Amino acid sequence: MSNGQIVAGFLAPHPPHLVYGENPPQNEPRSQGGWEPLRWAYEHARKSLEELKPDVLLVHSPHWVTQQGHHFLGVKNLRGKSVDPIFPNLFRYAFELEVDLELAEACCDEAASLGLTTKMMRNPNFRVDYGTITTLHMMRPQWDIPVVGISANNSPYYLTTEEGLEEMDVLGKATRNAIRQTGRRAVLLASNTLCHYHFHEEPVPPEDMSQEHPQNYAGYLWDMRIIDLLRRGKISEVFKVLPQFIDEAFAEVKSGAFTWMFAAMDYPELPGELYGYGTVIGTGNAVMEWNLERAGLAKAA
Amino acid sequence: MSVVSAFLVPGSPLPYARRDNPPWEPIAAAMETAGRALAASNPDLIVIYSTQWIAVLDQLWQTRPQLQGLHVDENWHEFGELPFDMKIDVEFAQLAIAKTAEAGIKAKGVDYDHFPVDTGAIVAANFLNPQGAVPLSVTSNNLYHDWEMTESLGRVAAEAAAELGRKMAVVGVGGLSGSIYRHVIDIKEDRVASDAEDAWNRKILALMEQGDIAALTQACPEYAAAARVDMGFKHFAFILGALGGRFEGATTHAYGPLYGAGGAVVECHLAAG
Repeated sequence: MSNGQIVAGFLAPHPPHLVYGENPPQNEPRSQGGWEPLRWAYEHARKSLEELKPDVLLVHSPHWVTQQGHHFLGVKNLRGKSVDPIFPNLFRYAFELEVDLELAEACCDEAASLGLTTKMMRNPNFRVDYGTITTLHMMRPQWDIPVVGISANNSPYYLTTEEGLEEMDVLGKATRNAIRQTGRRAVLLASNTLCHYHFHEEPVPPEDMSQEHPQNYAGYLWDMRIIDLLRRGKISEVFKVLPQFIDEAFAEVKSGAFTWMFAAMDYPELPGELYGYGTVIGTGNAVMEWNLERAGLAKAA
Repeated sequence: MSVVSAFLVPGSPLPYARRDNPPWEPIAAAMETAGRALAASNPDLIVIYSTQWIAVLDQLWQTRPQLQGLHVDENWHEFGELPFDMKIDVEFAQLAIAKTAEAGIKAKGVDYDHFPVDTGAIVAANFLNPQGAVPLSVTSNNLYHDWEMTESLGRVAAEAAAELGRKMAVVGVGGLSGSIYRHVIDIKEDRVASDAEDAWNRKILALMEQGDIAALTQACPEYAAAARVDMGFKHFAFILGALGGRFEGATTHAYGPLYGAGGAVVECHLAAG
């Protein structure tokens, strides 16, 4: 067996507003900024990622929804223009990315060997979803690290939350096995918002921060409770209350990325570093890191 | 009445991409039959409501004059691309947006290059309007809209068409029962995954064929819950709204499985006057 390892995992939410607020050249719409605390949180995450020197970034996105199994981007180079169907006024992004095909195929095979239905996505005309792109852009706008893109199977919605998240747990374990076998230094990106209650109207302009605040106070309290536990490394406690959090805060972690990431890291009781929290159209978003290398759970590069 | 024909069709790409598969061929053939019936009704405009165009903020209407491209379904990517070339009736869409707002539902237009047109709208347009001869209007499924709001949207579309003097075909794009096979199957052996859901589908189709609107309206909420119906069967609510809550009967051109889910091609017979 080779000596690949996961060196860090990040909670890296994907509101397209963050890309819009940054005004990168790849995105067509222009803004006057907005959502600065979250964008500055991503600056810390970018710096830490730079120091980790990973071979690959793996991202699990709730906006690539699949019904038959867990799918993996399987084309070496993908490029195109991704327009957010919900916020097309904010996100029209020219993407170009390189897939780590060997690792993607290993993840696919490992997950299948553990009993999941899996599929490689081989169509070169595939439009990569805005969740994948936003998380990857916010973490590494240079786009110079190969990626593995993983779909969100709809099992937590089609089955019960618990049954669906059990599948994500298996997917995480398969991901860990594949990383070990292929010898990669890997960073995991869980592309999830926390409380997902949102406003139903956009302010004009969308970046008018005087209108931005939590849509739901109970959801905000849930976010603080979860973040507090995560900052104290009480991971098993988080997973005990996760189904209740999902139900009561309409939390997007239901879609599986959060569970996938922690399963792949073997649920370390490790304090997460909170880089920032903020709302986007009322939803709760935290940028957090679990640095396994710094904690002595992974070897330095 | 501005509506000259009405159809309920599935949005799955499977019959379009793999009509050579025996369980899916009848639906593909029925879509072509429905296309001929639609053409015979001589509409000026086809209004498509697709459950797969998901919206959460507003009611969205396409306002880009022409939509062209290659679409790859996020789940069925191995079956290739879905080419599309849609001419949009922008004048109609702008009036529909205004009238949607008048009905108390916030609405806006969508006019963006590379906007991800959904699989269901593409499949319906390609089967029912293969030469692109009739201009289209395409509108979204807002997840927060209930049955009554969706009926209102259908009514708004019909009123907008009447105001412009357009003869309109209405197409509700979506599935019937929603239990699917989550694993890979031999597609030649595809069947509706649940016998109970199959029975429900047949009951609802029979009520449609009889034109028993009262019984349908009463049964739909229970059907939607019991058979995991695609988006609560709101695509039928849109049709019903456009028809003013009336039709005399229907022809089921095909009914069959779509990877375990149920799908049917249904042509409603319009009430006189």
